[in-house]
Amino acid sequence: MKTAAGRGTIAAAAFLLALGFLLTLFGVPDAAFAQGSPFGVGPRAAPPPPPAEGMMGWIFAKQAEFYRMLSGSLRAVKTDQTAVAGLFGISFLYGVFHAAGPGHGKAVISSYLFANNETWRRGVVLSFASAMLQALVAIVLVAVASLVLGATARRMGDAVWYIEIVAYSLIILIGLQLLWRKGRAFMAALRGKADHHGHHDHHHHDAACDHLHTPPPANLAGPGGWRRGLAAIVAVGLRPCSGAVLVLIFALAQGIFWAGIGATLLIGLGTAITVAVIATVAVGARGLAGRLVSSGDGKGALLLRGVEVLASLAVIAFGALLLAGYMANERMLI
Amino acid sequence: MIPAMKIPSRFLAAAFVVAAFASPAQAHPHVWVTVTSAVVYDAKGAATGVRHAWKFDDMYSAFAVEGLPQKTKGVFTREDLQGLAEVNITTLKESDFFTFAKAGGKDVVFGEASDYYLDYKDEVLTLNFMLPFKTPVKEKDVSIEVYDPSYFVAFAFAEKDAVALVGAPAQCKAAVEAPKEVSKQLSEASFLAGNWGQNFASKIAVKCP
Repeated sequence: MKTAAGRGTIAAAAFLLALGFLLTLFGVPDAAFAQGSPFGVGPRAAPPPPPAEGMMGWIFAKQAEFYRMLSGSLRAVKTDQTAVAGLFGISFLYGVFHAAGPGHGKAVISSYLFANNETWRRGVVLSFASAMLQALVAIVLVAVASLVLGATARRMGDAVWYIEIVAYSLIILIGLQLLWRKGRAFMAALRGKADHHGHHDHHHHDAACDHLHTPPPANLAGPGGWRRGLAAIVAVGLRPCSGAVLVLIFALAQGIFWAGIGATLLIGLGTAITVAVIATVAVGARGLAGRLVSSGDGKGALLLRGVEVLASLAVIAFGALLLAGYMANERMLI
Repeated sequence: MIPAMKIPSRFLAAAFVVAAFASPAQAHPHVWVTVTSAVVYDAKGAATGVRHAWKFDDMYSAFAVEGLPQKTKGVFTREDLQGLAEVNITTLKESDFFTFAKAGGKDVVFGEASDYYLDYKDEVLTLNFMLPFKTPVKEKDVSIEVYDPSYFVAFAFAEKDAVALVGAPAQCKAAVEAPKEVSKQLSEASFLAGNWGQNFASKIAVKCP
C-alpha cells in the first residue's frame, strides 16, 4: 500500500518537475510580442530576457546572432543569387534557436499535450503544423498587406493586433475545454476513490478500482480529438513571428520577396523541429507518469488527474497572460 | 495516508510558484539603434538637455517606411516621414525615450521632446530629437544612459564621435563608458526587476571641473 501510494507520489513529482522545467525553460508562448512597439511602428517589445548565462543565455546569444545575420545575407542574395544557400541555412538555424527561446507556443503545446495525454505522433504533427501555419500567416500577411493593399507598417501592426486577440482567446477557450473535461475526470476519480476507501480498504489493486481511474473513452484522441488538435494548431500558429515579418518586408524592399518567403519557410522548419523536440519531452513525461501510476493504486491516478487539471489551468493562464499583457499595452500601439 | 498526500500538495504549490515566475518570456533584440548624442548647455553653463540622433538598422528601417507615401520613388523626404516621426515620439514617451540621466548622482527629469524629424539615407532611418531637462542642470557630473530595459531594442553608442558637447564650459569633458561587466548577481537582480537591458547600457559621462 505504502509503496503504491509512494509510487503515485513519485509519478506526480516527476510530472510536476517536468512541467516546471518546461515552463521555466521556455516561458509563456509568444509573450515576446505581447507588448507594444516602443516606436509605435514595428514589432512589439518583449518582456525582459533572462540572464545571459547557462543554456538559456547561450540560446539567447545564438538567436540574436543569427537574426542579425539575416539582413546581411538577404542583401547578399540581392547581388548574388547563389548566396541564397547561406540565407536559407541561417534562417533555419535562427528558427531552431528562436523557438528554443521565446514564443512559438511551446508552453501551450506542452501543457496541451500533457493535459490531453496525446501521442508522440500527434505532438510532432501539432508542432510542425503550427510552425508552418505561423510561417504561412506571415507570408500571406505581408503579401496581401504590402503587395495587394499597399498598407503601411502601421496597418500591418493593426492586423497583427486582431490576429493576436483571436489567437489568445482561442488558447483560453482550449484551456477551458480541457479544464472542463479534466475537471470532470478528476471529480470522477475523487468520487471513485472515496467509495473505494469506504468499502474495500484492503484491496487496492482490484480491477474495478483500476477501471474507475481510466479516463472515459470520449477523453481519448479520436475523431473529435483531431478537431481539438486543429484548434490548438490555429491558436498557436496564428500569430506571425515578428522576425519573419521583418525579414519578409526587408526582402520585399530589396526586390527579392521570393528569398524572404524561402527564409520564412525555413525559419518555420527550424521552429517546428525545436517545438517537436519539446513536445516529445512533454509526451514522454506524461507517458512515464501514466505508466508509474497505472502500476500503483488509485491515489496515483487521482494525482495524475489533478496534474492534468493543473496543466489545463496552465493553458488558460497562458492565454489570459498573453491577452492581458497585450491589452495592458494597447496604448503603445500605433 | 496523510503524509503521502502532503508531499504532492507541496509539489502542486511549487508548480504554481514555478508557473508564476516563468511568465516573462525572453526575446533577442529585434531593433538595433546606433546612438549619437549631444549634451546642450545654456549661456550660464547649465546643461539644458540631450539632442539624440538614433540610427536604426536596415531591417527595421525597411519595415517602418513600408507603404508610406513618397513623392519620388526610393526617396523619403523629411516631410514624407514627419507623420512617422510624430508616431515615434508619441510612443517613445511611454518608455521615457529610453534615456536615463543623472546629475550629481540624482535622477534628472526630462520635459517634452521637441524638434523631431526623421532622415532617410542609404536605406536607413535616423530619428533626431531634442530631449530637454525639465530644469537646467548645474551639477558638474552628468551621466546619460540609453537603453531599453526589456532589451527588445539594442541601443549602442556610435563607435566614433558618439557624444558631443554644445555650448559647454571649456573645461567640460564628455566620454562614453562601456557597459559594466555583467556579473551573475547583477544580471539576476536586474532580471527580476525587469531591467535586464541596463546590463547592456553604455553611458555618456560628462565631467566639468
